[in-house]
Amino acid sequence: MNTEIHTNTSYQIEHLTFCKYVLRTPSKTISLSFPQMLELRRKINELTSYSSLNRIIDNENFVLLFVADKQHLIFLEIPQLLQLKEEIALIFHTPDTILV
Amino acid sequence: MNTIVRKQMSIHPDVMDLLNNQIAMEMKASASYLAMASWCDQRELLNSKALFYKQAEEEREHAMKIFEFINDNGGAAISPNVTNVNNDFESLISIYETALEQEISVTQSIFKIFKAARKADDYITEVFLQWFITEQAEEEDTFRSILDIFGLMEGMPLKMIDERIPTE
Ligand SMILES: [Fe+2]
Repeated sequence: MNTEIHTNTSYQIEHLTFCKYVLRTPSKTISLSFPQMLELRRKINELTSYSSLNRIIDNENFVLLFVADKQHLIFLEIPQLLQLKEEIALIFHTPDTILV
Repeated sequence: MNTIVRKQMSIHPDVMDLLNNQIAMEMKASASYLAMASWCDQRELLNSKALFYKQAEEEREHAMKIFEFINDNGGAAISPNVTNVNNDFESLISIYETALEQEISVTQSIFKIFKAARKADDYITEVFLQWFITEQAEEEDTFRSILDIFGLMEGMPLKMIDERIPTE
């Protein structure tokens, strides 16, 4: 396991304060308000649907995504896209989804 | 419901997604009724025309009710795409049959969200949806009664059947 490569390409989301979130990408740190988080969640969920993933893989194999009210553009390949999906799911995670 | 986002949102995020789909469904229903209204309008079927224009507006109101509910509860309401609206019909009765089918699928969809809300302990959404369930029962009844009129008046001129269609 090469941890250096791992941190290099990783995307993380942290919940800082009541209404402040931060998205850490390999190249920058982007702070997000809650509505911006919701928008990111919507986009990522849309992009990671089965048909959308297939379309991405069949075409350019990456996505460019505007975040934080179009202030930032991020580059995501499939593994990062899936990682970001998990990060978001964690933020929006609810206990009953694991209990059921 | 106990999540990081609970302080931001009082409804469950997954339930919110379903509610956003419902907005799309209501707007689609509105557009579909508008197409039916136009078909009737062009053929001088005055009561049917009035009914479908009214339905189109009501469906939009339903969409707006959900739209505001999502935003009022800290979520993000999404303005939907409305595509593939059918404007081509073969008869007045087929329009009413389609309308009933459409209402039944809306009812099923509301039930699905109601169930999801209950499962997620999202009582706010559950209570909100109760109004919609009552409303759906009324909508289904409206179209079922109209289809009964068609049954009773079989063979009569279209214009006469249209005159029997309740406007209120
Ligand atoms: Fe409706």
